[in-house]
Amino acid sequence: MAAGPENVPPFIAAQLSHLLSHFRLTLKVEQMWSGDKYNSGPFDRFSLLIPYCLDFIKWDVIFDAESPSAAPDVIFGPEDEDFHPFHMQPSPESNNNSLSDWNYKDPSRLLTLIQFLRDQYVLYQRKRVGEVDDDRLKFEISTILSREGIEMHMSSGGEKLEEVKFAVPLLDMNINKMVSCCPWRYSQKIYLQVVYPVGRKYTSAPSAPRLKLVSSPELKAAFSIDDVKLPPWLDGMCLAEYLPNLEEYLGKQVLEAVSLIEVRRHFIEALASPFGRPVEADPVFCRKATFLAASGVFTFLVHFLIPTQFPKQQPSIMLQSSQHFNSQMAPMKSRLISDYPWSPRWEPLLMAERICEFLGDEALNFKRQCSEGQVQQ
Amino acid sequence: MEDPPLQKIAISGPTLASLIQRFSTSPSAIHGLLFGHVTHLPLTLSDDSSSSAPTLLATVTGFLCSPSFYDSSGTVLPSALRPHSSLLGWFSARRRSPLRPSMREFSVTSSLSSLSQFSSPIDNSNPNLNNSNYREQPFLFPPCVFLLLASPPSDNAPSSHVHTHEYRAFQFRTGPQCFEPRSLDVVNIGPAFRGHYGAFSSNSRLPALDCGLRGSPMDEGSDERLSGMKQAAKDQRELDGCAEGFEIGRLSRMVGSDARSYTEGLEELYQKMLVKIQNLTSLVEKSSAMVLEQENHNRKLKHKILRSAAAE
Repeated sequence: MAAGPENVPPFIAAQLSHLLSHFRLTLKVEQMWSGDKYNSGPFDRFSLLIPYCLDFIKWDVIFDAESPSAAPDVIFGPEDEDFHPFHMQPSPESNNNSLSDWNYKDPSRLLTLIQFLRDQYVLYQRKRVGEVDDDRLKFEISTILSREGIEMHMSSGGEKLEEVKFAVPLLDMNINKMVSCCPWRYSQKIYLQVVYPVGRKYTSAPSAPRLKLVSSPELKAAFSIDDVKLPPWLDGMCLAEYLPNLEEYLGKQVLEAVSLIEVRRHFIEALASPFGRPVEADPVFCRKATFLAASGVFTFLVHFLIPTQFPKQQPSIMLQSSQHFNSQMAPMKSRLISDYPWSPRWEPLLMAERICEFLGDEALNFKRQCSEGQVQQ
Repeated sequence: MEDPPLQKIAISGPTLASLIQRFSTSPSAIHGLLFGHVTHLPLTLSDDSSSSAPTLLATVTGFLCSPSFYDSSGTVLPSALRPHSSLLGWFSARRRSPLRPSMREFSVTSSLSSLSQFSSPIDNSNPNLNNSNYREQPFLFPPCVFLLLASPPSDNAPSSHVHTHEYRAFQFRTGPQCFEPRSLDVVNIGPAFRGHYGAFSSNSRLPALDCGLRGSPMDEGSDERLSGMKQAAKDQRELDGCAEGFEIGRLSRMVGSDARSYTEGLEELYQKMLVKIQNLTSLVEKSSAMVLEQENHNRKLKHKILRSAAAE
C-alpha cells in the first residue's frame, strides 16, 4: 500500500496536520487508506491513536473524498458501542457543536472535534466506572474524584476479568520549569496507574490494587521512574491515604534528580581539563559528552554515557577509533567500559584525572584490538 | 408509548441485491431510506409462556438512495422527507470501514426514530391473533430500522476483484437510546421460506391514484380541490394511455368459446405489448444515461471544490 502524503487530499491534510501539531497530547495516525473500491483513490480515512488513561484508544476518522465539504464521521472502538458523545446526559453545554457548522476551509475544525470527543469520552468512562457495583470502588472514587486530570477506564473484554483502571496524575509541580533550557514540548507528568479487579464479590478482604508508576517517555532523560521503589500498600488502605506519602517521596526524588543535572554538568566541565573541550555534549541533561583524545599518533573519540544516578553510578565509556574502519566503513568501537576504578566520593576533578589515567592504558589495548580486528563491529 | 420490539427483519432478495449493486457501483458511500411493512409473524405452536416474545416482522421491500435528508450533525430534516406511509428506516453503505454504527449513523437513526409523523401502520390483520391480543397491539411503528453495509477495512489488495460485502441490521430502541442487532432474513433464500408461498401476500401496493371524480362540481371548490381534480384527470389519461388497445370489451372476447376465431387479434395484442415493452426499456435506458451524465457532472463539480480547497 502506497502510504505517502501525496495521496492525502489537501482538505484532509490541512485538518490532520493542524490536529497533530496542536493537540495537547501526542496523537498517532496508525494507518491511512482510501474508501475507493480498489483502494487506489485519495486517502480519505485513517485510524487515530489517542492517549487515554495511560493507554491508547483507536478511533477511525472517515472523510469522504467525493464530498470534501462534508464533515467527517467517527467510528469508535468495539468496546465503546454505548459511547454517543452528542447524546450524553447531561447534554453538552450547547448544541453549537463542531459538526453542525463544519467548514472544511478552517483547518482547526478537526482539532476542535477530536478535543470535544475526548472530553466526552472522559465523562463517559467516568460514568461507566461509577456504575460498577463495588463498595470499595465507590469509596475510592468519592475521595479522589476532585483530583484534576484523573482518568479512569472500565475494561470488560469478554472472558477477561472486569477491571477498573485509574490514571492518577501525581505531583503538582511543573517539571518542565525546573529544567533550564527545557526542550520538552509536552508537559512532563508522572502518573500512578491503579488497577482494581471488580466482580469478585465474595472474597473476604479486598486485595491490594495493582500499582505502577508511569511517566512520559521523555522524562527518562532526567529521571527514571524505574528506579523508584513504591511504598507498600497496607491492608485496608485506600488511595487517599496512600497518595500523600507517595507524592512526598516522589517529590523529593524529582528534586534530587533535577539537582543531579548540575552535578553531571560539573563533571563534564572537569573532564575538559585533562581532555580539552568536548567535541559534543548534551547541554540540557548532561547525559552524554564526547572528547577527542590521542595516544601517540593514535587518535580516537571517547564517549561518556552518564547515568541519572551519577555519581552513585559511574559513567560508561566507549572508545571509537578515528583511524580504523570495519568492512561496512563504519568506525570501530570498543565495548562499553564501566569497570574502571571509581569512587562517588571523589571530587569531579579527581574523577576526571583517574579516568584519564585509566584510559592511557586502555587506549593501547583498544589500538591493538583495532589493528587485529577483534573488536565488536 | 414504547415502540414495539421486532423479532427480526426480512428483506426481499431482489431488494438486497439491488442495494448491494447500487453500493458497489457507486464511487463513494451511499445512504438512503428503506420502505416496507410491519406484520405479525404467524404464531408457532409453542408454550403459552413464550407469548411475551416479540412477534413483529419488518419486511424491507424497497429503498431509495437519497443524497441528504439530514444535516452535518446528523439531525434529520423532516422537510426533506415526504410523508410516506411505509417508511421503515434508513441504510448506510460505506466502504473499507468497520461494521459498527458510526457516530453520525447513531445521530441520524436516533433523530429519524423520534419523528412519529413518519410512523407506519402495523398490519394487525393476521388471522392467528385472537381478539384480546389484538387490542393490546400497538398500531404504529416508528422508522427505527437501520441497515448497515460495509466492506472490510483490511481488504487491501488493489488488484483484487473479489469484493466482500458485509451487512448488519439493527432496530433502534427509542427508550434506552441504543441499537439492538436483529437477524436479517433474505426472503426466498433458504428452506425456511417454503411455507411462504402458501400464505403469499403481495409486497408492494398499487399507487394510490385518486381517479374517481368524487363530489359535485358545485362544491365550494377551492383551488386545491380543482388542482386535485386536474391531477386525477391527468392520472386517468396516463392510465388510459397504458391500457390503449386493451379495452375491457375486447379483452372479454379473448376468453370463452369465441376465442378461437381471434387468434389473429391475440397475436396483434402480443405484438403491441412487445412494442410497448421495447419503448419502456429504451426510455429506461435513456433516463439512466441521463442520470449517469448528471452524476458525472456532479462529481466534476465536487472535484472543483476539492481543488479550490487545495489552492487556499
